[in-house]
Amino acid sequence: MKRLLSAVALSALMTAPALAADVKVGSVAGITGPIAELVAPIMDGRALAATHINEQGGLLGGDNLVMVPADSQCDPKAGVDAGNKVVNVDQVVAIVGASCSGATNGMVQSVTIPAGIPSVSDSATAPSISDLDDKGLVFRTAPSDAYQGAALAQYAFDQGMRKLAMTYANDDYNAGIATVFAKVFAELGGEITANQVHEPNKASYRAEVSTMANGDPEGLALFAYYGGSGITIIKNSLETGSFEKFVGADGMFDQSVIDQIGADTLRGNIWLTQSASDPDSDSYKAFAESYAATGNDPQAPYAAHGYDATFMVALAIEKAGSTDSGAIAAALMEINDPAGETIGVGQWAEAKAAIAAGKAINYAGATGSVDFDANGDVPGFYGVNTVGEDGSWQTELLK
Amino acid sequence: MEAYYGYIIYGITLASMGGIYAVLTLGLNIQWGFTGLFNAGVAGFLAVGAYTQALLTTPVAARHIGGIELPIPLAMLIAMLLSAVVAYFVARICVRLRSDYLAIATIGIAEILRLGFKNELWATNGPRGVSQIPKAFEGIGESWDLPEILGAQKTWDQLGFLAMVLIIVFVIYILLERARTSPWGRVMTAIRENEEAASAVGKNVESFRVESFVIGAAIMGLGGALLAQYLKQIDPQVSDPLTATFLVWVMLIAGGSANNKGAILGAFLLWFVWSGTQILSGLLPNEIVVFGFEIGNLQVRSAYVRIFLIGLILQFILQRRPEGLLPEKRPGAQRKAT
Repeated sequence: MKRLLSAVALSALMTAPALAADVKVGSVAGITGPIAELVAPIMDGRALAATHINEQGGLLGGDNLVMVPADSQCDPKAGVDAGNKVVNVDQVVAIVGASCSGATNGMVQSVTIPAGIPSVSDSATAPSISDLDDKGLVFRTAPSDAYQGAALAQYAFDQGMRKLAMTYANDDYNAGIATVFAKVFAELGGEITANQVHEPNKASYRAEVSTMANGDPEGLALFAYYGGSGITIIKNSLETGSFEKFVGADGMFDQSVIDQIGADTLRGNIWLTQSASDPDSDSYKAFAESYAATGNDPQAPYAAHGYDATFMVALAIEKAGSTDSGAIAAALMEINDPAGETIGVGQWAEAKAAIAAGKAINYAGATGSVDFDANGDVPGFYGVNTVGEDGSWQTELLK
Repeated sequence: MEAYYGYIIYGITLASMGGIYAVLTLGLNIQWGFTGLFNAGVAGFLAVGAYTQALLTTPVAARHIGGIELPIPLAMLIAMLLSAVVAYFVARICVRLRSDYLAIATIGIAEILRLGFKNELWATNGPRGVSQIPKAFEGIGESWDLPEILGAQKTWDQLGFLAMVLIIVFVIYILLERARTSPWGRVMTAIRENEEAASAVGKNVESFRVESFVIGAAIMGLGGALLAQYLKQIDPQVSDPLTATFLVWVMLIAGGSANNKGAILGAFLLWFVWSGTQILSGLLPNEIVVFGFEIGNLQVRSAYVRIFLIGLILQFILQRRPEGLLPEKRPGAQRKAT
């Protein structure tokens, strides 16, 4: 038995070593920790991009793109540690990640910027990341929160809502969106009747929702992760009769919200913005098709961003024509040339041919045009989700 | 050369973080190892130190208070002082409590501090944290135009910070060893072993306990100040009890409570395990077949295996060496040579 186990372990180790023609890219994400359930589909999005690239000729002279995972646990300590490991031990040429804004902020400032390694985060949304003196090395395919909070406030106002109570889970992501939402909604002429922060993962929020119902609000603006506190708050609101209508952001976006509360109760009463792609675009269709084939829901938050981040890093490596990190960082700004040939999701072979022919390229990603600005940020597109007749989320793109 | 360079840098960062944990563990050693004060609120004092350092040294930012750009060493001193002041008031209220009650009280205080830092948005930017914290010796390689070492000038930045951390650990170690073998240290041991006996021989037990608590907390504050520089970004997650309180406790217990060498050894060893396990788990293939069962997606799952590995190693140490790797050595009674 013992010998058998060690034989398994040994053979496991022997298959592991990298081949000579591997190009390593770090894949840093909060695999464990508070947003683990959101990270799993993102990792699948990244893996799908790597599969597309490797199936269609690989990088440069046929090299294999290898994603080296590391766990940033949504904590700056772990983010720095994970960054150090992939940069120094695995010696990756670029990084996709990290997941949470805090972990990303720590990792880029303390590891990747000093080391000169470019990083493209697919889910760090804090506005503070735009302000960093990043030497042109920090990018993200996830739009800064400032945009989503404003989009939701505008949408709620356009729907005729004027008085809303607001509560948000006390974490960097939800607090960031809530702050912008409250500001923009008030500027438009709406009124926030109650603004209360809550700690996630409590068994009941009855007291909180009852208090917030004072002042006669028309509905509740709820910024939380569905698994942390979101579903419980909706349940408690309905049980106590405090709120019937809810608006929220993409932390709430999951089928389990409908399954646990009931489609009939929620239909016509809930609106969730989500960082979305134009469902009619060819790139998104291509992504949705191949991502669904892996057994995942293509609308999972930030999964498409994970795909784009990975694909863009690969395009930059190809464009740079080398695995030099500085050249890759510079090339990341060159893969969205408006005059270039349009490259969509899954069109790696076309991209390779265009670059080899010396043509400019313009990547149209699963999440939109993903044109980096001077801060390495993208503008972002949003959709609004409502409950459809069949009891699943229906997305309508905000234009 | 290139490959070795990465490993060396990784080693430097590993040792820097290990050193920061060693500072925290030495602080706890005064409180628990010397005096028997069950402080389960290490994270709180770490947070006070880290936020003090962050807010005093960062440039002006709209998102949080501070922005006075104090010199780094001065901010570290203030971080220690502030942590000591907080500890003094906590100690005046709580220090008479017996060990388990003190543990509960200090957990509560650490949570109050953490939630304070998390919710006072105007002061600390709440859960978003403070970014762009200056780090000691950052950029010295270039600005002092030092010769290239290991192929790059910037290696000096990392080496400088590591040297600073190690010197701080060494100085604290010397001071604590001196304290341990002094009459003060013997009173602390007496209080730990039998309070009534200590007070029966005329020692003011309460004031000694306050002293121990305050000194320990000041050292933890210094650890926090170092951590803030090392990470360059802090948010309330930094004082998460798992990695800021309980990991420090395990380091002290595994290394050897009341033994300063043990505290340092435990800190480095456990940090190496904590961080090093990600290299081990990275060696796993993505799919293996065991007895005909296909286990896929191991590269992602191994992040969880890593936490399991850490628990396993801790269990092993605690089962086999319950007194820690380096058990306490009591100083012999000092006799005057006649």
